Amino acid sequence: MSLVPAELVVQDEREAVAEYNSATVERSWYHYVLLAGAILFAAVSVGFVGTIFWSSLPTWLHHAGTLLGGKGWVSPAGPFGGLAMIAGTLETSLIALVLAVIIGLGTSVAIVYLIPKRLRNVVATLVELLAAVPSIVYGLWGLLILAPWMESTVNPWLNKWPFATAIFGSPGKEFGTSLLLASIVLGIMILPTFVAISREVIAVVPQDLIEASLSLGATRWQVIRGVVLPTAKIGLFGATFLALARATGETVAVALVAGGVANAQFHLLYPGTSIAAWIALTFGEAQGNEIAALMALGVLLMLLNFGFSLVSRWMVRRQRLVLERV
Amino acid sequence: MSDMTELDKPIEVDNELRNEIRRISQHSRARRATVSKVMIALCAVALVVSAVPLVLLILQLLEKGIPVIDKTFFTTLPSTPSLIAPNATGGVSNAIVGSIALSLYASVLAIPLGVLVGVYLAETETKLASSLRVIAQTMAGAPSILMGLFAFSFVVRDLNIGFTAIAGSFALAVLMLPVIVISTEIAVRGVPNTLREAGLALGAKSHTVSLRVVLPAAVSGIVTGSILAISRAVGETAPVLLVIGGGFTNSWKPFDPVSALPLTIFENAKSEWPSQRAQVWGVALVLVAFIFVLSLSARMWASRKQQVRN
Repeated sequence: MSLVPAELVVQDEREAVAEYNSATVERSWYHYVLLAGAILFAAVSVGFVGTIFWSSLPTWLHHAGTLLGGKGWVSPAGPFGGLAMIAGTLETSLIALVLAVIIGLGTSVAIVYLIPKRLRNVVATLVELLAAVPSIVYGLWGLLILAPWMESTVNPWLNKWPFATAIFGSPGKEFGTSLLLASIVLGIMILPTFVAISREVIAVVPQDLIEASLSLGATRWQVIRGVVLPTAKIGLFGATFLALARATGETVAVALVAGGVANAQFHLLYPGTSIAAWIALTFGEAQGNEIAALMALGVLLMLLNFGFSLVSRWMVRRQRLVLERV
Repeated sequence: MSDMTELDKPIEVDNELRNEIRRISQHSRARRATVSKVMIALCAVALVVSAVPLVLLILQLLEKGIPVIDKTFFTTLPSTPSLIAPNATGGVSNAIVGSIALSLYASVLAIPLGVLVGVYLAETETKLASSLRVIAQTMAGAPSILMGLFAFSFVVRDLNIGFTAIAGSFALAVLMLPVIVISTEIAVRGVPNTLREAGLALGAKSHTVSLRVVLPAAVSGIVTGSILAISRAVGETAPVLLVIGGGFTNSWKPFDPVSALPLTIFENAKSEWPSQRAQVWGVALVLVAFIFVLSLSARMWASRKQQVRN
């Protein structure tokens, strides 16, 4: 599947096609078959949200406070505190996002304005192929290659800086698999997602705006900073939120490289975990109340993810309106 | 006209001021040009920085994966290394069989329904259609672990089917559905209206046009979307992790516990045996190669069909 949201692709033939179809397709057996399929799909999606929520209900009724603010996770009896997972999810996703957006913006600009047209399709295909590499492979790479490297080279180096202990944690207590490694691996993973959309958004900035600005004597960078990026701003925010949605939902890679320890702490070089990773790591052994608590974590994850992707789609749609007005 | 005459008058500037202006403008221009060059160079650096980890990943995957792949890798069942035989990892045939079985059953569950819904979205404009479109787009980005939770609650627990291949296929089917729905809708909408109108003008009923004209014209897009959905599902760990039971036999049966390639990676990556950690690279290489072949062939097929049509 192309990583570009359907809003950018679907043409405006929608109304035209529907107009005569609604007159003729309805009332034939064919319409009822299609309708049955649509209703089944609606049932599946309602079931998807409903079943997970229903399974988590005991936790919401009796231990909501513990889940949202509690620190410890004690199997199998409880209490099941979710603070470490919630904090870990936000911490790793935000750091990953900062990394991915800074590098991804530069990459998109370079792809659109520096790479010759003939090579651009090749690069686009490569980016999409890399987005197709399964997350478990990134996790494996992070665990077996990056983690030892972090432990031997990066961690000691980071600790030389002032205030290192406050940000990264005490030397000697840190691990190769840490929140920071999880953030880096996540950043690498969401980079293709971000680039795929931001490249698209930057490429459709109207040429006459760019030429007008060039004719006034602006340099290439002034054109990019003064015209291209502001015009594409909302779409770029959309890409950012989509990347954020991906990052929060990423499971097995984080499960492998974050260390898998439910400690509510903020030192980047200590092991931690995220909501999705914690579900993957503990679900196999979980019973009764713990399953309900993990389902409740799943509900939180769903809310985060759906929220981010709704914002993202709203922004990409706004971007189209902006371009139509220009 | 009076403006013209105003402009035609020679402007009187004293030489000193003119030189000063020229100096400042040249200075500013030089500065702007330098800033521009630096920033553009930084963008190029970003491109390189983003390529480095990905290139490294692929190279290391090849370097460490190729040596551990041999015939027994594909044909034998896994075994646990022991102190006497620390290198006896066996093969991963159960995971290969499991992955193929899982994606097969998931396709059977997801593709027919996904195509139906996609056609429904493309051919009608009801409130149901527009809300289903939003639902499909939201589900397409949903974290895959949630599919695992859904399959566990519904198939494993409520239907009491247990940890089986069919539970994993159900999770993967839920994952694939929105992707197929979206790509089918795009493919069906992409069929030119002139084709539809020609069919209707010949007196064909609308469902005949839809089934005999529109669907055949859209089939390449639908197939491409389905293949891409399969290639995404085959690499997913999180949904199957919770529900397939991790079987150690080469079983094709839907109601048996099975294993899968990504699951094998997840479980053996932290193994205490170096031989098992080494073997995992081979599994990852096979998985990535399979996914690349699937998505590249889907892409090439789609572009060839496009050329034929043009």
